[in-house]
Amino acid sequence: MKKLFYIILPVAITFIVFPSCSKSLLEVDNPNTLTEDQFWKSETDAAKGINAAYAMFYKPGGWARWMYFRLDLTSDEGFSKSPWVELGDWTRFQYINYNFWEGNVNTWRDTYKAIFRCNQVLKHVPDIKFADATKKDQIIAQAKFLRGLHYYYAAILWENIPLVLEPSKPDDLPKQNTLAEVWAQVEKDFTEASAVLPVQWDDPSVGRATKGAAMAFLGRTYMQQRKWQEAKTALDYFFTGPGAGKYELTTNYRDNFLHTTENNKESVFEIQFSDANKGGDGDDPNQNMGTHRPQFFAPRGIGWSDGQARYWMVNEFKKEKTLANTLDPRLRYTLFYPALEGDFGDKVYGRSWEWGSDEAWFRKYQRDYYRNNEDYFCQNNFRMVRYADVLLMYAEVLNELNQTGNAVPYVNAVRTRVNMAPLATAHPEALVSKDAFRDRLKMERELELCGESVRWADLKRWGDLDTQAGVDKVAQRDPDFNNFKVGKHIRLPIPQIEVLNNTNLKQNAQY
Amino acid sequence: MRRTYHGYGFDRAIRNFVRNRLSPALPVCCFLFCCLFTIASGTMAQSAHTVQGKVTDNKGNPIEGVSVQNRNTSSGTKTDANGHYSITVPDKSGTLVFTFVGCITQELPIRGQSAINCQMMPADASLSEVVVIGYGTQQKRDLTGAISVVPVADLQKRQATTVAEAMQGLVAGVYIRGGGQPGSEAKIEIRGLKNFQSSAPLYVIDGMIAVANRDFNPNDIESIQVLKDVSAAAIYGSRAANGVIIITTRKGRKGPMRVEFSGKSSLQVTPRYKLAGTEEFARLNYMAYDNAGAPRQNLDMNVHTDWQNEAFKTGTMQNYNASFSGGSDNGSYFVSANYFGNEGTVISTGFKRLGLRVNTQGTKGIFSIGENVSITNAKADEMSGNPYLDVVRLLPTIPVKDPANPGGYGYGNESKARTFGTNPVAIADLEDRTNENFRILGNLWAELKLLRSLKYRFNLGYETSNDHYTYLRKEGNWTLNQAYDPAIANENRARWQSALIENTLTFSENFGKHSVTVIAGQTYQRDTYSQIWGTKRNLLQNSSGYYYSVLDQGSEPQTGGFEQKAVLLSYLGRLEYKFNDKYLLNAVVRRDGSSRLSNSNKWGNFPSVSAAWRISREDFFRVKWIDDLKLRASHGTLGSSNIGYWDYLATINTFSTIAVGRDQHTEPGATQVRLVNPDLRVETLTQTNFGIDATMLNHRLSITAEYFIAKTKDVLTGMPIAITTGNDGGNPVVNAASLKNTGFELSAVWRSKAGAVDYYAGANLTTLKNRVLALGYGRKNIFSGNTVTEVGAPTGMWYVLQTDGIFQTMDEVNNYKNKDGKVIQPNAKPGDIRFKDNNGDGQITNDDKVVVGSPWPDFELGLNMGASYKSFELTMNWFGSFGATVYNGYRSVVDRFDDNSNYRAGIKPWTPDAPNTNVPRAYYASTLNSRGDTDRWLEKGDFMRLKYIGITYTIPPSLLKRIGFSNAQVTLAGQNLITITKFGGLDPEFNNNNIFERGYNNFNYPNLKMYSLGLQFGF
Repeated sequence: MKKLFYIILPVAITFIVFPSCSKSLLEVDNPNTLTEDQFWKSETDAAKGINAAYAMFYKPGGWARWMYFRLDLTSDEGFSKSPWVELGDWTRFQYINYNFWEGNVNTWRDTYKAIFRCNQVLKHVPDIKFADATKKDQIIAQAKFLRGLHYYYAAILWENIPLVLEPSKPDDLPKQNTLAEVWAQVEKDFTEASAVLPVQWDDPSVGRATKGAAMAFLGRTYMQQRKWQEAKTALDYFFTGPGAGKYELTTNYRDNFLHTTENNKESVFEIQFSDANKGGDGDDPNQNMGTHRPQFFAPRGIGWSDGQARYWMVNEFKKEKTLANTLDPRLRYTLFYPALEGDFGDKVYGRSWEWGSDEAWFRKYQRDYYRNNEDYFCQNNFRMVRYADVLLMYAEVLNELNQTGNAVPYVNAVRTRVNMAPLATAHPEALVSKDAFRDRLKMERELELCGESVRWADLKRWGDLDTQAGVDKVAQRDPDFNNFKVGKHIRLPIPQIEVLNNTNLKQNAQY
Repeated sequence: MRRTYHGYGFDRAIRNFVRNRLSPALPVCCFLFCCLFTIASGTMAQSAHTVQGKVTDNKGNPIEGVSVQNRNTSSGTKTDANGHYSITVPDKSGTLVFTFVGCITQELPIRGQSAINCQMMPADASLSEVVVIGYGTQQKRDLTGAISVVPVADLQKRQATTVAEAMQGLVAGVYIRGGGQPGSEAKIEIRGLKNFQSSAPLYVIDGMIAVANRDFNPNDIESIQVLKDVSAAAIYGSRAANGVIIITTRKGRKGPMRVEFSGKSSLQVTPRYKLAGTEEFARLNYMAYDNAGAPRQNLDMNVHTDWQNEAFKTGTMQNYNASFSGGSDNGSYFVSANYFGNEGTVISTGFKRLGLRVNTQGTKGIFSIGENVSITNAKADEMSGNPYLDVVRLLPTIPVKDPANPGGYGYGNESKARTFGTNPVAIADLEDRTNENFRILGNLWAELKLLRSLKYRFNLGYETSNDHYTYLRKEGNWTLNQAYDPAIANENRARWQSALIENTLTFSENFGKHSVTVIAGQTYQRDTYSQIWGTKRNLLQNSSGYYYSVLDQGSEPQTGGFEQKAVLLSYLGRLEYKFNDKYLLNAVVRRDGSSRLSNSNKWGNFPSVSAAWRISREDFFRVKWIDDLKLRASHGTLGSSNIGYWDYLATINTFSTIAVGRDQHTEPGATQVRLVNPDLRVETLTQTNFGIDATMLNHRLSITAEYFIAKTKDVLTGMPIAITTGNDGGNPVVNAASLKNTGFELSAVWRSKAGAVDYYAGANLTTLKNRVLALGYGRKNIFSGNTVTEVGAPTGMWYVLQTDGIFQTMDEVNNYKNKDGKVIQPNAKPGDIRFKDNNGDGQITNDDKVVVGSPWPDFELGLNMGASYKSFELTMNWFGSFGATVYNGYRSVVDRFDDNSNYRAGIKPWTPDAPNTNVPRAYYASTLNSRGDTDRWLEKGDFMRLKYIGITYTIPPSLLKRIGFSNAQVTLAGQNLITITKFGGLDPEFNNNNIFERGYNNFNYPNLKMYSLGLQFGF
């Protein structure tokens, strides 16, 4: 009897007890976070969803770091003497390994990562019940704005890219789109966003995309396609539309580059950087909300010094004095250059000039105004669009529409802020013809917006890189353009790994 | 007197030989092989001579029926029931031959003696050896699957941190690579790469599923079995696809208490690079700048830093073990303590382990109970970055200390020494990083012998580890242009727990010539891991510079934590059937349910069957020189679900935050970041194995040969997906690829004696062919680094540009055209590399890359030899790998001039005056001649290495008796002393954990030369 019990006991444990509860035993809930099907239910979820899309501005592939290499250093304003040769090569059209992470793939990845976040909002938020429908529409509109923005820059960089408009699945192999198709989508996103976004946000939401931000980007989008009439219609918003009177130039030019004067009256759209978190770049707790630009652009001995300014700009600034016969104050706040201390009394991070006599460094967004070193947690907002840019864009559009005379006051407004004489006095030759005005405007944009990541799009829009003669001219300012091959380097190669993995993609021409 | 001594020494020698070589389980039966024969002087007689004696078995019991023959006359007799015999021989110079079934034939010369006793040894101790096969044991001779028994004695001779590292070259079919970093784990791969996730095998320690990592003391091991084929590993189901390593720890033996001590003390020496000194560096650096038209840097010619002297030192390794053990018929105990300490050859690195083990068991009537438990504390002092790279990246013109820099250390300087190498001395001082684990591992078991042939066993296994990580970063810099950081402390604490509950029933019975064993069981295992971490910045510092790194101090707190859980529920059954010792059959089935798989696919079934035929037992088999011959075959399916905890579950990442608003306040964000495939199922490995076991030539030669074909289907892997999906946080796991591995393994051991020297020589040969059958998502290839993995080819083949010498003249440049007459490298100058335009389009692009070599060795070879003479014993293990092409990461840095690192001493870049070289011209700041993706850096990775050589002296017992010791040995040994290779890096034997870049030698910590002195004694 006792033996029988011994036999029954294990058998019972083995074959009866466990199977009966096996199902629940194997269903182990993840105690760490929500599952996807538990999310996208409430207004809070929607708000978090759109915030996560904004958070993509803080990633290295985008606006925390490498975008400045693509837009500022690749242009004739900047270049790289980085000892990391491959990093430098990607600012001088020596693209050898198309899978170079820092030069290409990281930016491609973060672009689409941001788009995935926008697409999630656009897919799920329409199904969420909101007490106030306006709030819901504004969240959707912000997602459209951000998606449009990322596609805008992707179109500038690679041109022929796939348009992904739905949340992704692992086996997606999207079709490639033409540049025209991409522009059409960008126009659509900005147009739809601008219809809903508010002219201004209340204080707790300052920094989110406004109608003006969408209109400015819509204007840029049309301008890149040289659709001048449509561009004018979009930019009219600032002058005759609801945006009129909402923006002004700051009195102090430098206020546009300090963290203490962010979101000022000149600001149209800024990336809201912060040093509140000191974590990494990944999707982990305490992730960095700062920009790394100053650490990468600070002069040798202070930061990585991977990017610096071309010296020709110093000369360009010095060609014209203010009405008070002083040097253009924009020179002081745009560049570190050998005579900075002599000209304006400013040291470089507390140091006297110790670099080459023909070298210069970008000063905008650097934090030398309150510290002698840099790090990865810079809180200084990047002004993606400011009103001065809008004024100059509007002037350009009017000029292209043969309204050169109407364009002049907008340029003068920008000049007046820094006490430069009106064009008619200082550059009468610029008013002679549309072409002459455009030539002058190119330099006006350079002096005002140098180092603000608009130059590469400008060069493309102006067609300066479409002919060998044009490239040769640019190469006089920036010898890196001697490597530039017309028809090839106007766009980046698509990451090779993407072309290999997605059979629907064709590598860009000549790569 | 002298003879007696001689005889004893001979006996000792054989004992040692047996203990060290033949059987890991041998402390139990180490007396099996000894053969004592007493030599007594007899009276000389011219005519017929009578010899008498007694024949006993290895335990001293008399054997009846042993045939005793005179070799010369073939006259003979047999022993009686008491083992006695008596034989008359024609003269005193003959030889007696003793034969008995199942025993080794003995031949003893008469030499005038009239009394000759003989002890018979079983035919092959290794065949009567009991092998642990998972939920039971089998005699080695009855195995039907591919199971290797690791010679534990050889393993324990080596001075090593981990079991895996010490096993290298001792088992066929097992690929092992270690390195010289203190506390580092070795990579182990059984029978090839079967998936893209991990090659780590399943470890079973005393019945508990737990990894034998660096916390585990190799000295506690009694036996190790490696289950290589499906039929052997099938009983472990869904976790066994990478093979299973079963470790059994030592137990007490019947008898009075036995105390043992062993200690090893070693010196470690790192291999070093041959790098340029200040003058040579300056000459080459100026050349590179001049060629590029760049202004020379202002090198500090007064500084002569040998960075290797700064970063490397002689390491030490200490390993001390003490144990006491004993037992009776009703129980046994074994208690051991271990200290292991390693001061690395790199400054500020080290590893320490303290361990205690208690194994006990007892029996009363039908009830037995026992436990095995080990408690260890292991602490590693780690170093950031890679010093083996740093010493190359830093220039000899940089001083170790430079008061001008924050923190006071020298590193690159923009005008004098432009390099971004990190100063290892600065890191050693400015950073402290430790990793400590306190681990308890053990099991408690109970057995009920319900009937004579039926027993029930309950096994409760438990493992827990308290992990503690600390990091302190002091203020100061170690590299040029470094971003500012304040003093930072970072600490995390974690707990790992794994609990195993097993119930098994074993039925075992013989029915005439039929023998049957049936096992049925159920197991449940639950793993949990949880961690909390915290960070503070701006730490408090006292006036003497000390930082208070506790997390109460400092500012800007950050904290976090997470948890992981998994459950595995299984049912298992095995049938072992044997008929007449000739036909053997094993059938296994396991059913596993895993919480890691999607809800609809949690369960998987893993059946296997294997059979063996002992052909030598057949009547028709009459090959005299073959003693035993067994043919084996097996086929079956195994699983693997070695993936993350919730990889099938789409989750929301809630860690985004943004700054927003006039006040720049922080708001949370949440979104899906990582994509998932929701219907993950278990990956399956189907394997067919053929094997032969043979012993021949009077048991002197034993051979095992295996051939296997293994296919893995539905491989669970994070296959790269289109980046346009926006996925991040790791590629989603998917049941994608299919892989095939085929291999041949051969082990052979020859044991014999020549005069007074007993010796053995063994060889393990492993060949492996890896082939990708499918990659999932319809892909044809995966590119990773400089490799491509293509369907139909092995994983991770080298895929690079081909170089074709150096342009000597401008004419050569201009005449280097494709068929359309296009100059292929128009920008090249004499001294530049000529690349092959493989696609003929007249330019050098990525499209010209081709597959040029395989990182897989054609074969690997282990050679293990030993000999003993009197009180001396010599052991040697060689290990070699042949046929692999490897990437020399070191040369790809020191043989280039685009970026400032130190240069290889004696390098001769091309110049117009010295054009006879294979190094292109030096050119600063251009990747032209320094591309990493070319065949320039690929080398033959062949090597043959003396892994271990040791000589042991056994102190004669007559001396020991006076101090009360029963045995004592002194061993002098060396590891990695000789390496025969043409590889130009530090070490051709390295471990790259990237599955696709296994052949990339990327400044891995090399294997170290080690000189050890060991002492062992017992009483």
